[in-house]
Amino acid sequence: MIMMIYNRLLKYAPAGMLVFLMLGCERELNELEPVTYPTNPEVFINGFSPGLNYAAFGGSVPTAFDVDNQVTYNSISTTSMRFEVPDAGDPRGAYAGGTFFTEVGRDLSGYDALTFWAKASQAANIDVLGFGNDLGASTYQTSISGLAVTTNWQKYIIPIPDPSKLTAERGMFFYSEGPENGRGYTFWIDELKFEKLGTVAYPQFSILNGEDQVETSFVGVSKAIGGLSSTFNLPSGINRTVNIGSAYFEFSSSNESIATVNAAGLVTVVGGPGSAVITATVGGVPVKGSLTIQSVGDFQSAPVPTRDPAKVISLFSDAYTNVPVDYYNGYWAPFQTTLSADFDVNGDHVLNYTDFNFVGIQFSSPTVDASAMTHLHVDIYLPNTLTANAAFKIELVDNGTGGTGSFTTNIPVAQSRQWISLDIPFTNFAGLSNRAKLFQVIFVDDNDRIPSFYADNVYLYNAGGGQPTAPTTAAPTPTHPAAGVISVFSNAYTSIPGTDLNPNWGQATVVSQLSIQGNNTLKYTGLNYQGIQLGSPQNVSALGFLHLDFWTANSSSLKVYLISTGPVETPVTLSVPTSGWTSIDIPLSSFSPVNLSDVIQLKFDGNGDIFLDNIYFRN
Amino acid sequence: MKAKNILGIIAIGTAFLFSLTFWGCKPDDFQKLPQRDWQLVWSDEFDGAAGESPDASKWVPDLGTGQNGWGNQELQVYTDKSENLSTDGQGNLVITALRSGNSFTSARIKTQGLFAQQYGRFEARLKTPYGPGVWPAFWMLGSNIETVSWPQCGEIDIMELRGQEPHIIHGTIHGPGYSGGNPITKGHALINARFDTDYHIFAIEWDAEKIDFFVDDYLYQRIERGDVPGEWVYDQPFFMILNVAVGGNYVGFPTDQTPFPQKMIVDYVRVYQEAN
Repeated sequence: MIMMIYNRLLKYAPAGMLVFLMLGCERELNELEPVTYPTNPEVFINGFSPGLNYAAFGGSVPTAFDVDNQVTYNSISTTSMRFEVPDAGDPRGAYAGGTFFTEVGRDLSGYDALTFWAKASQAANIDVLGFGNDLGASTYQTSISGLAVTTNWQKYIIPIPDPSKLTAERGMFFYSEGPENGRGYTFWIDELKFEKLGTVAYPQFSILNGEDQVETSFVGVSKAIGGLSSTFNLPSGINRTVNIGSAYFEFSSSNESIATVNAAGLVTVVGGPGSAVITATVGGVPVKGSLTIQSVGDFQSAPVPTRDPAKVISLFSDAYTNVPVDYYNGYWAPFQTTLSADFDVNGDHVLNYTDFNFVGIQFSSPTVDASAMTHLHVDIYLPNTLTANAAFKIELVDNGTGGTGSFTTNIPVAQSRQWISLDIPFTNFAGLSNRAKLFQVIFVDDNDRIPSFYADNVYLYNAGGGQPTAPTTAAPTPTHPAAGVISVFSNAYTSIPGTDLNPNWGQATVVSQLSIQGNNTLKYTGLNYQGIQLGSPQNVSALGFLHLDFWTANSSSLKVYLISTGPVETPVTLSVPTSGWTSIDIPLSSFSPVNLSDVIQLKFDGNGDIFLDNIYFRN
Repeated sequence: MKAKNILGIIAIGTAFLFSLTFWGCKPDDFQKLPQRDWQLVWSDEFDGAAGESPDASKWVPDLGTGQNGWGNQELQVYTDKSENLSTDGQGNLVITALRSGNSFTSARIKTQGLFAQQYGRFEARLKTPYGPGVWPAFWMLGSNIETVSWPQCGEIDIMELRGQEPHIIHGTIHGPGYSGGNPITKGHALINARFDTDYHIFAIEWDAEKIDFFVDDYLYQRIERGDVPGEWVYDQPFFMILNVAVGGNYVGFPTDQTPFPQKMIVDYVRVYQEAN
């Protein structure tokens, strides 16, 4: 055993606070003298601190704030701040709100929190309380939202995100609070001051609420980085998050040729295709959250509709004349979160729904008689990468006797970030008994996986004489950079030389190629099975996906196989029949245990007539 | 005193020079304790690799939920999985309390059957976890607990902390007639600091006459033989326990606002005997 001597020769420690006296020396200060501001921590103790002013916010009750000589947080305090929140509909103003500010800034860099005591005439959640609002730029505005107060006096703490920034702060305190359930009430604040607590711990700054977001975007699109906050652990052991301004952060872009970001956190997509990661630091320390912009370059428009205008009732499309629409976003209170950020690119108008949970388009004057129509068409585009398959629900509402019909489509992960054309027969809308007075189309994020989407070409149409048997439009042109692609069949890339698209494996399938809108397309007629012999064994182990575009109106079974020497083969089932072209990116891991460093063949089996295009491996 | 001088110098502003004088250093302001020579007889420095279990020759884990939440309505299930109990490869033992919905896992280890000692100095250097309902402890039980049961065996809590008060620790003894909600106890609070943000040294010095409780070598509580309202049961070997409980009578329930995971990070545990 190690023997160690713990030798306490003289053990002592201070029993209380050490008293130390500082004597200023007689030195003249005639050299550089930095501008200094008062460090007075007091805002409102027994009245206004020196230099403090008050201004009510516009639209608020101007007299909401007053000094109260009766109600105070303890017997020593002689006055408190009283705030009277109006009832809903009060003619004097809709809410109580204002800011306490000084003419000359104060140096608050020696403190770590704004603290106060508060109580209210009823339990309530105060909408906003904070500091840094100087009625001007309010550069370092910091606030907490929904602070719960009770009828008892309690002490509250608003941590200062980065005290070193507050060397000349004028905004001492501000508040904003509306009626609770329509009724006004009173709250009091006392002993309002800045403090150095030393017990506010673990600051964690965040952008985008701490999420790592990935978003497909286009040249010319701008987006402000939101969700700026800092979370602290309070002396009570719980966390408190304060909402803060962009000035606390230093933003940067990993690739300024793709996207730039300015000091205020405004991101602008300037190039592409390519990606850029927007991150931020505070005091040199990286913060939580990032935004990866995946620019596809110039805007990729939805497929241009080709339906005969005589057989179309259009709600939103630049290809047709639209019927009168009340709105494309009803902002239905209180449960809808969906916002609109519609945009147009070169005259192509696109609906852009953000913070999506559900949203309705209404066309009530007049309602639409769609009795002669057979389908609803909508093109949607999910700019965020899906984490798992999404359930996208569409409801059609009839204002007469037809009721509400709903249809839910499953969107595979691989179909995010590309236009998806939905052509849905009205017969698929369960619950819609007739469609003589249609007046709403509602989109619902049925399993909470679609944070935002674009929509275009929302129209009702008559398919007129059954389903088409062959695609009328070419498969979508691939956008993956050629450097990361090994192509089997595509006009967009150089294919593997020597590949045999119709090896004789004894199959019944008839293979042909045809040109659709000038694009070479592979057709399997009467599929039972069909192989593709690659010109040479391919090592695709460094790549991530097999990409396919396929189209079929009459197949009920379709699988695709990768085959390595052995043979070792694994199928992946494709969803058929399709409504228009289906584009899919199948993770190569799905083909395990096929040896990805030695892929020699592809195979399809199933039935029906299949159109294929853009068969390639990509990273 | 050395440390205070350094702080004083840092506090001097740039625009002025100060002459610094310590005043009031009267003898009464400092603790002068009798000189002792402590010999290290047992220690664990927790030098294992990241993810390793603590040394099985020194510690044995308690597992499961005990009886009635280890007698305190505690919520956690104790495991010996590395996610709850392991060295970190940087010289520390980490006990991690995890939340999964409304259930919690954590860890508790003891030296029972492996090491126990009567009298001496018992100390640990550690950072506590924090948050409402989180209850870390460094404590001891009398080795005769199997035969005489609790509280006759005696309990010495060298450090307990309620996570909703991360600036206060408590030193406590439980014995017959003064146990459960009625022990001999005292808290010690930090001014402008917390026990979870930095390491602190928690220790007792125990002899036949008394038990002294220290934080960072500051004596904040002395319990003498004559101070207890019942029997003095501290003249036999005690074994040590380290744990992080979640919930329970002492600390209350965790809330939705309690941050998880919570970690107690233990730099070392050392036990000394006084040299003759």
